[in-house]
Amino acid sequence: MTPIMLLRGVYGVWLREVTRATRDRAQLIGGVSRPLIWLLILGVGFNPYFRGEVYGEVRFVIPYTYLQFLFPAVIVLNIMYTSIQFAVSVIWDREFGFLREVLVSPMPRPLILLGKVLGGSTIATLHGGLVLILARFADVTLSIPDMLTALSLMFVLAFGLTSFGVILAARIRSFEGFGVFSNTIILPLYFTSSAVFPLDPSLTRTQMVTTYPEWLVFMMQVNPITYAVDALRGVLIGFNQFPPSYGLGVIFGMAGIFFVVAMIGFSRS
Amino acid sequence: MNPAAIIVSEVSAAYGSKKALDGVSLAVPAGAHFALLGPNGAGKTTLVSILSTLRRPDGGSAQVAGADVVKRPTEARRSIGVVFQDSSLDDRLTAWENLEFHGLVYGMAPKPRRMMIEQVLELVELGDWTHEVVRSFSGGMRRRLEIARALLHEPKILFLDEPTVGLDAQTRQHIWHYLGRLRQERNLTVLTTTHYIEEVEDADIVCIIDGGKIIAEGSPQALKSQHGKRWLHLTPQDAETLALIQSRFPEAQALGSTALAVPADKDDQVDALLAEFRDRLLEVRFQQPTLESVFLSLTGKELRDRADGQRDADKAAGRRGGRR
Repeated sequence: MTPIMLLRGVYGVWLREVTRATRDRAQLIGGVSRPLIWLLILGVGFNPYFRGEVYGEVRFVIPYTYLQFLFPAVIVLNIMYTSIQFAVSVIWDREFGFLREVLVSPMPRPLILLGKVLGGSTIATLHGGLVLILARFADVTLSIPDMLTALSLMFVLAFGLTSFGVILAARIRSFEGFGVFSNTIILPLYFTSSAVFPLDPSLTRTQMVTTYPEWLVFMMQVNPITYAVDALRGVLIGFNQFPPSYGLGVIFGMAGIFFVVAMIGFSRS
Repeated sequence: MNPAAIIVSEVSAAYGSKKALDGVSLAVPAGAHFALLGPNGAGKTTLVSILSTLRRPDGGSAQVAGADVVKRPTEARRSIGVVFQDSSLDDRLTAWENLEFHGLVYGMAPKPRRMMIEQVLELVELGDWTHEVVRSFSGGMRRRLEIARALLHEPKILFLDEPTVGLDAQTRQHIWHYLGRLRQERNLTVLTTTHYIEEVEDADIVCIIDGGKIIAEGSPQALKSQHGKRWLHLTPQDAETLALIQSRFPEAQALGSTALAVPADKDDQVDALLAEFRDRLLEVRFQQPTLESVFLSLTGKELRDRADGQRDADKAAGRRGGRR
């Protein structure tokens, strides 16, 4: 197999994933309805309460609205759902026999997996991108370079999470089991990722008046999604709770590590 | 050039403690139609899995088109096309998309890919269904599409695992006709597994396998003349008569619980039997040497009937679905 032939193979696997996703209306509905629910309902609902007020007295200044604060996190949520749901596609291939069609082909297994994960990441990035349409509504101003940076970060994040989905798929035997699994993973990760509230209520250490319990802060600090959300906030609304390099490191680190682990598992099957 | 397209030597495979293949050796010359005949559970699918590099043999070695399936699997994969026992199509994609996927994964360039897709779709007469989603296809159409797909990258060897299950007689004939022509034109080697005896009559070599072992191999004619006996199939009126005949003819084979087959190669024996039991038999039939009777005399059992085989296949599919 020459490199161009291998490239065709990766493209073929990618194309199949994307084609399948465009025919799966349920997935698209999820991708559209999720940001609407989170931004329109939760975001708008909590917007007035997101201010530096303690017992009716304004104690500190918060430079962002809740909608702005939540906006990047909803992108991450959409990516998380779509990426991790991608495991279903892997289970599907295994249980319905399609996997054999690929396994008897001369394509090397790591490239098959690469095509699959790229396909899943593309779909997840598109779902994350859907949220960007609501930017104006959330009062987030986007420049073209910012948007491109955000999309690239989103893609790398999606790549890591999709690989994570593949790792999960290898351990899950049934579709039924997966529904439970995904909800017990996605939502806890999301809620402890500083997505819906900041690590520090005043957003800056200097104004700190009230603090969250230490255990909660600790959970947020060990959750990798925290850093992904932080990186995206940095790009989209210019707010970071950590040095920007942390977010980049975690996003790229997850992509690399999860893909390698997924590949080892896939080559063995 | 190696004249043998497939060489299997002393291959064994086991699932846990159950032996699926037990020291199987065979050679298939290039361009031949080789049929692996045996009941369900004989080890046919396991052998195809090994030859198509999906499963490593637990012992022995195998080569397809000169490439060892364990040591050089990629090379082996390039020269084979496989039609699996149960569908491996993506039923959310159209016929064209399924073939396009296959062509891409085999690294085919755009032009030959398009040309071959059209050609193989025409071959299996699915030209009108090119852009329909596979989910709407009947079982026979899916099978035809899978055969088309297996031929797309112009393999040297084609494996067909129970390829005609669920196809109507006309389509079956058509497919065999095409495979025959392909064999002549391109020197395509075809290995089919089946438990339908009538489908192996046209094969160049038939290999009878049972319990993971090869019990006979040769052209259908040779097998018939070597192992085929004329049999007398009898349905006695009651169990008592059945038992009596059985005790009189120790080499008689039971066919289910109400009938039995008695070797009919000695005329005087047959005459005596018929004279004695004439009034106590419901049905008498002579069975000329067929592959069925070859199978019967070699294994002491009939190949299970069609409905039975289908039920077994369904059961197996059910097991696979809920596996682990």
